[in-house]
Amino acid sequence: MACDEMPDDLKILWKEAGTDRPVFSPDQLRQETEKMRARRRKSDVLGAAVMAFFVASYTIIFFFIPNNALTLAGSILSVLICGIWLLDILRKRARVAPDPGETDSVRFYRAELERSRDNHRTLVWRLALLAPPFILWDIGFARIFAKAAWFIEPLMWFDCVLLLAVFAVVLPLKQLKSMRKYQERIHTLDAAMRSEGR
Amino acid sequence: MDRTETQDEFYRKVAEEYGASLARMAYAYEADPDLRRDLSQEIHLALWRSFEKFIGRCSLRTWIYRVAHNVATSHIVRQTRGKRSGPAFLTLEEAGVQASGENVEISADRHQALAHLFALIQRLDPLDRQVILAYLEDLDAESIAEITGISVANVWTKIHRIKDVLVRQFHRGGRDGL
Repeated sequence: MACDEMPDDLKILWKEAGTDRPVFSPDQLRQETEKMRARRRKSDVLGAAVMAFFVASYTIIFFFIPNNALTLAGSILSVLICGIWLLDILRKRARVAPDPGETDSVRFYRAELERSRDNHRTLVWRLALLAPPFILWDIGFARIFAKAAWFIEPLMWFDCVLLLAVFAVVLPLKQLKSMRKYQERIHTLDAAMRSEGR
Repeated sequence: MDRTETQDEFYRKVAEEYGASLARMAYAYEADPDLRRDLSQEIHLALWRSFEKFIGRCSLRTWIYRVAHNVATSHIVRQTRGKRSGPAFLTLEEAGVQASGENVEISADRHQALAHLFALIQRLDPLDRQVILAYLEDLDAESIAEITGISVANVWTKIHRIKDVLVRQFHRGGRDGL
């Protein structure tokens, strides 16, 4: 069954495009694959460096700055949550993406939408989880150093409100909005597939 | 000949035969020239890598278009991430409504008509876009169904609706319709 009802003019017009096609040699593509691997290694190293920075910072705080129960709880929880983040990122990377050659477009498109939705969804809880330990640490710090300078306590409270607003309200709401956008597209796609009895 | 040589040879042949078609596809998925160049490279890279796994369960043509469309779909999903504007894509109905207001003569200015056609396709939902592109590349309905995963009947329905939109959008100089 050939699709021969298409206006010929338009098909001829269509074929006039694409004359300036980019050319890639297999060696170029092989080099690009290597570059991609290098970029991935670099981002792994960067992730590990950020984690190491967090652990080192809290270790310094732990051993060299006076602590109370709140700062200790805040420090330990922050390191734990960053560790969970890292594990989650590595676990997600280990998941196999759909094969573009073996997967039909509808399933592939749905998988891509799900992947984007899930990225935003995980960011919501990641950001929301990070706020409490930071706030605990701020309150603990304010209690220890309240008498050292008048501005420390109001500064720490301001920081708490800011952290709460950014990590628990503004950023998660933004992520939820994006998550809903992808969920709506999944619903639309599912509805279209249902209507054709797939 | 080892596996790498076969893969390279295979890729060279495919790039030669389907290069223009893949370039048109990249154009239809990405308006920005720099991003289009990246997308083209992504498509070629994915194709070259995919030939390691190609065992001929479907035709080579179906395989090529499926890989290319899926890579391009990933690209546009990635590109729409974080965009604040409303719905990024138009349905065929919406495209049809918009089409009725602006009419282009193919014969008058082919460059303008082509730009108009690309602009229309670039705004369509990925699935409709795939059907249109495969259709313009002379693929039959069965192949389009195999690539997209929708039924042949549905492919035909989409094609008729696409035709309707295109007829409203374009007309030949001196004639009323296509």
